[in-house]
Amino acid sequence: MKHLLLILSVCLYSSLSHAADSLATNSAAASLEPAELIKQVMEHWRSDSSYSEMTMTIHRPDWQRSMSMRSWTKGEKTSLVRVTEPKKDAGNGTLTKDNNMWTFAPKINRIIKVPSSMMSQSWMGSDFTNKDISKSTDIIDQYDHRLMEKREHDGHLIYVIESIPHEDAAIVWGKEVLTIRDDYILLEQQFWDQDGTLIKTMKASEIKILGGRTVASTIRMGKVETPDEWTEMSVQEIRFDQAYPDSLFTLSNLRNPRQ
Amino acid sequence: MFRKSRAHFDVIFTLAWRYLWRNHRRTLIMLAAITVGVWAMIFMTALMRGMVDDMLLNGIRNLPGEIQIHHPQYRDDPSINNSIDPPDKRLLQALQIPEVQAWTGRVRVPAVISSERDSRGITLLGIEPESEVRLSFDLDSIAAGRFLKNSSDHGLVIGAKLAERLETRLGKRVVIMSQDPDNNIVDRGFRVVGIYKAKMASLEELYVYAGLETVQKLLHLDDQISEIAITGENYRNTANWYPQIKQATGENLQTLPWYEADTYLGAMLAMMDGFVLVWIIVIFLALSFGLVNTLVMAVFERTREIGLMQALGMHPTMILYQILMESFLLLFIGLLIGNVLAVSTIIPLQDGIDISAVAQGMEMMGSSSMLYPALKLNDILLANSIVIVLGLLTSLLPAWHAAQLNPIEALGKD
Repeated sequence: MKHLLLILSVCLYSSLSHAADSLATNSAAASLEPAELIKQVMEHWRSDSSYSEMTMTIHRPDWQRSMSMRSWTKGEKTSLVRVTEPKKDAGNGTLTKDNNMWTFAPKINRIIKVPSSMMSQSWMGSDFTNKDISKSTDIIDQYDHRLMEKREHDGHLIYVIESIPHEDAAIVWGKEVLTIRDDYILLEQQFWDQDGTLIKTMKASEIKILGGRTVASTIRMGKVETPDEWTEMSVQEIRFDQAYPDSLFTLSNLRNPRQ
Repeated sequence: MFRKSRAHFDVIFTLAWRYLWRNHRRTLIMLAAITVGVWAMIFMTALMRGMVDDMLLNGIRNLPGEIQIHHPQYRDDPSINNSIDPPDKRLLQALQIPEVQAWTGRVRVPAVISSERDSRGITLLGIEPESEVRLSFDLDSIAAGRFLKNSSDHGLVIGAKLAERLETRLGKRVVIMSQDPDNNIVDRGFRVVGIYKAKMASLEELYVYAGLETVQKLLHLDDQISEIAITGENYRNTANWYPQIKQATGENLQTLPWYEADTYLGAMLAMMDGFVLVWIIVIFLALSFGLVNTLVMAVFERTREIGLMQALGMHPTMILYQILMESFLLLFIGLLIGNVLAVSTIIPLQDGIDISAVAQGMEMMGSSSMLYPALKLNDILLANSIVIVLGLLTSLLPAWHAAQLNPIEALGKD
């Protein structure tokens, strides 16, 4: 009886993985290690450099507001975000460079280096923390990744990867669970605490072709405990691999926009 | 001559003793007053001393140390940029003097601790567990888990209150964020290996302990530290050996004894010494009215007898001595009972009086929720000598009055 079960399960497994393999032959993702897969996702989203225009909607039970912003990224660790709408927030900007972060507020005409004490505070009042904004690529080398599940959905292969932070990594989460589609779209990122409770999720709710790539154009971040509080980022326009000068990512450009 | 004065003394003593007990009710009442007064002096002083001692010891433990060495700017701006080198040869030699009981070098920088649910500002202490324990950290305060094992321990010891605020527990990971000397953000995950309970909840939320080497590595500090803390045997003696340390540290560092590092604590000690004296004198003043009244009454009642003794040839000085002797006996017996009473009420309370009902208020003053009365020989001696000396001084008035009586007039009184 036990044997039978074993044989059955082996058959089942191999047929499943065969199906998966055959499905994935036209997809480069099939042979990748989980860490590599995540790296590809980051690569896909940020490329060598990117420019995007997006809207951030912050939703709370009794109010909601939207901000339009433009963002430039270069490499893994450099980015600039500038608010364009509404008028009263226009000009607010954030520059991140090598894990450091500066904000500029035109109203007080000051550049403030975000101190370590504020890194885990909310970014522009949203559900994203400053850390979420500045250290998005940390997930590649600060975690141990394990492929948990591989499934097929709508003609795509979906990978579910469990990422457990290293012992001394500066990450409070017990684990993160990433759901990645074989065309390198991050469908969902779950943040679990160390007791195994899901705390917050970042979920792609819309996938579009923008700037010649299929990307998650709308992402919603929200805490599980408070389902009616969330922040949604929706991207209107994206351009990849534009050559941006280094002068774009400087404090003086943060203060006096030239682009 | 000697024999004569000895005989005088015997007579005076006998007379005084007998007079004392002739109106035994009045004497007993007066004795009771003196006893209660002396008891109050000693007992209350011990309580106050206990409270202030506790406050001072706590304060010095939290500073920590009786002498602290810092970068001159550190105390105004406790940032990582104001770090100092570890003790050099000269200072190490000075630290060998017998007065130094323990010393330690620590990194103390502002940092942020975050768990999955919350983050809070804290003071991160990078310590050498071995010397820290001798100087500041009380191992009994570990409520769960363990204290750091060595200075390269990768664990973190946080306060119970902080753990509660962060909704984290023993064995879970938290993240510490701070800045390195170049103002770059540095951060690292730590596993909570121990939870401590401080006497004061406010400290539990503030201080987070990690290994010195681990913190130095995190903050890119090499072997630099924020402060050197040195402790001796008795905080009252600090001023004696402080100059030796100061000389060894040189001009480029700021060396401060505890009473200057925390002037509030220093003022507290001076105030307490003054307060004890004032307290004893105030109680004595209340007592002295009763004492004078008793003696005046005694003299007034015995006018005829005093006149008779004078008529029989007793010298007025002897009468003065006799009244003083009465007063002395009264005070002496009162002091004896009072002292015994005070000591016997304090000894059972030596293990501490639980005042947790008012703990929050006491905490604001920097005191803990257990009150340990501190019986000091000096305080007892002070109380006794004040009562005896001032008591005899106040008795001089009625005694003088009695000695001045005219025998003929006195005998004529009925």
